Amino acid sequence: METERLFEITAYTENQVGLLSAIAGIFTRRSLNIEKLLVYPSRIECVHKFKILTRATEPQIRAVVLQIEKKVDVIKSYYEVDNERSCREIDDVKAFLEKRENDNK
Amino acid sequence: MGQRMTGSEALWRSLMAEQVKTVFGYPGGQIMPVYDTYCRFEKDIRHILVRHEQGAIHAAQGFARASGFPGVVLVTSGPGATNVVTGVADAMIDSTPVVVVAGQVPCHLLGTDAFQEIDLIGMTTPISKWSYQIRRPEDVAWAVSRAFYIARTGRPGPVVLDFTKDAQTGMVDYAPQPCRFIRSYVPDPEIPEESLQEAARMIDAAKKPFVVYGQGILLSGAEKELAAFLEKGAIPAGSTLLGLGALNSDHPQLMGMLGMHGNLAPNVMTQNCDLLIAVGMRFDDRVTGKLATYARQARIIHIDIDASEIGKLVPVDLGIVGDAKKALMRLTELIAPCTTRQWQMESILCNAVEKHQVIEPEIYPETGLINPGEVVARVTEFVKGEALVVTDVGQNQMLAARYSRFVQPRSFISSGGLGTMGFGLPAAIGAKIGTPDRTVVVFLGDGGLQMTFQELGTIMQEGTGVKIVLLNNNWLGNVRMWQELFFEERYACTRMLNPDFTLIARAYGIPCCHVETREELAGAVEQMFAEEGPFLLDVHVREESMVFPMIPPGKSVDEILLNNKEWFNYGD
Repeated sequence: METERLFEITAYTENQVGLLSAIAGIFTRRSLNIEKLLVYPSRIECVHKFKILTRATEPQIRAVVLQIEKKVDVIKSYYEVDNERSCREIDDVKAFLEKRENDNK
Repeated sequence: MGQRMTGSEALWRSLMAEQVKTVFGYPGGQIMPVYDTYCRFEKDIRHILVRHEQGAIHAAQGFARASGFPGVVLVTSGPGATNVVTGVADAMIDSTPVVVVAGQVPCHLLGTDAFQEIDLIGMTTPISKWSYQIRRPEDVAWAVSRAFYIARTGRPGPVVLDFTKDAQTGMVDYAPQPCRFIRSYVPDPEIPEESLQEAARMIDAAKKPFVVYGQGILLSGAEKELAAFLEKGAIPAGSTLLGLGALNSDHPQLMGMLGMHGNLAPNVMTQNCDLLIAVGMRFDDRVTGKLATYARQARIIHIDIDASEIGKLVPVDLGIVGDAKKALMRLTELIAPCTTRQWQMESILCNAVEKHQVIEPEIYPETGLINPGEVVARVTEFVKGEALVVTDVGQNQMLAARYSRFVQPRSFISSGGLGTMGFGLPAAIGAKIGTPDRTVVVFLGDGGLQMTFQELGTIMQEGTGVKIVLLNNNWLGNVRMWQELFFEERYACTRMLNPDFTLIARAYGIPCCHVETREELAGAVEQMFAEEGPFLLDVHVREESMVFPMIPPGKSVDEILLNNKEWFNYGD
């Protein structure tokens, strides 16, 4: 049996009206309570960041993160973050966006 | 600088820029400016006036599934918009590209509980691929092209545009804004070569590989690639309900349909294979039965374009996120050729038992009232498998899926994930309009027909040549069957007192025929197809009919009922 733990989910997104409720809905549908929620501009220009603290099992969190990332206006989503991870995330998101720009050329 | 026009005209221009030729809709107060400008575009776009907005969206779904082109719906705000919600949810779970444009109250009335105002974005966000409110005429071109791009790429799905009335009437300099890129959205993920090589190694090492495929094959146009892959590796395969038609029904490596009312062989082989290769399918619970015992003996490869499907229900040894066609093409190159797989012989016993105990009694009975499966079999024999088969939901759906033959792709349209009764008739209308050269037959029950049978009016007005086969047993047959099997024969609220359906068809000017005996059936089928336009064939079928085989809910896929009491026993 998987045990429930606190996880921190991060999502890097476009700044779109309605995205907060779209993401919140993913939690509601699974009866997951959001313990803490922060939404703010990330260190990348025009990219917003969600930080969500929730209690769940790891398979649940993995599914939730994939569902968040499936939203058209979400760029990337991760879970279980420490500071080191957070730096890697920024690099990862920057690399992703650069690649997408190249794809578009 | 573009041409000066209203947001309403910009909508029609934007639809034309997306090559839209057909719109299914119903006018109302908050979409009237759009309708008011339609006369300028009626030469380019055909508007089908349905009789209820639910009919519009199901028709658009049928249109999209038959033609491969997104279906378009135009409705008003409030009730017009809420009436399409069932279809949006249906299109989402069945990955159907549909673009819904709904009217909305002017911006200054948003959030005031104005007449016919609802929060459509709030309602449809969880059940659509993307939903967006157009508040300025300047956003029309951008939002429409983005909507089509999102609806038809990646894993397709429904998109909802909530179009405020002031954006419809405001002026804009219109210029097309084609959308080919959204930086946060990756519709065609690159497949790592290493994962395909790993898959090929797993396939080459397997003694008993088995492929389960779904609608992803049809959506990516990978029918030929699937056949080539199966043939090179001599791998047997089973299809999900929505995957039907991706392989010719007579393909020697097709073991049949998977799942609750599927064939014995593919369900049993799922539990006996040593490698399960799932392509373009999502392990729906109607396919897997009890998850805890599903294919636990096998290694599993899952190929799907939607990353969130990998590992969602079934733990996999190798997940490959990407387009089925590309994955299968490369895999076919990589795998070693194989001439025969001895293990496919395991299907022989299953097929013999199913034929003798289930199929023959259902489709070739000698006495008694007509069986519903018998009707499907006579129709499919007559059209030689060439018709596009649409179904409603319930026993009619399972029997149409089981006893129809398919010789070309996009030949089976059914509400799979949501199981929406009332889907059949409007979906068939849309399918016929989307593919006018094909013969379209819809099988439905007396329950489902009455959920949307106002669309007979659409058939009358548009002259849509849909062949409607009513399997009429005066019961909500599937629920009645479950009551008999699992609720100790307490038949609560499933008996129906029905009207004379032929009188209703006649009222709409639709030729029809009522059949009660086996002797009349073949002639009536012939008469139906001899008629050029629409036809209603009302067949009085056996009331207590059942659909077998059946994996009861909560059972493993190899725990299969052959009739009310007898379980299939493999290996006896």
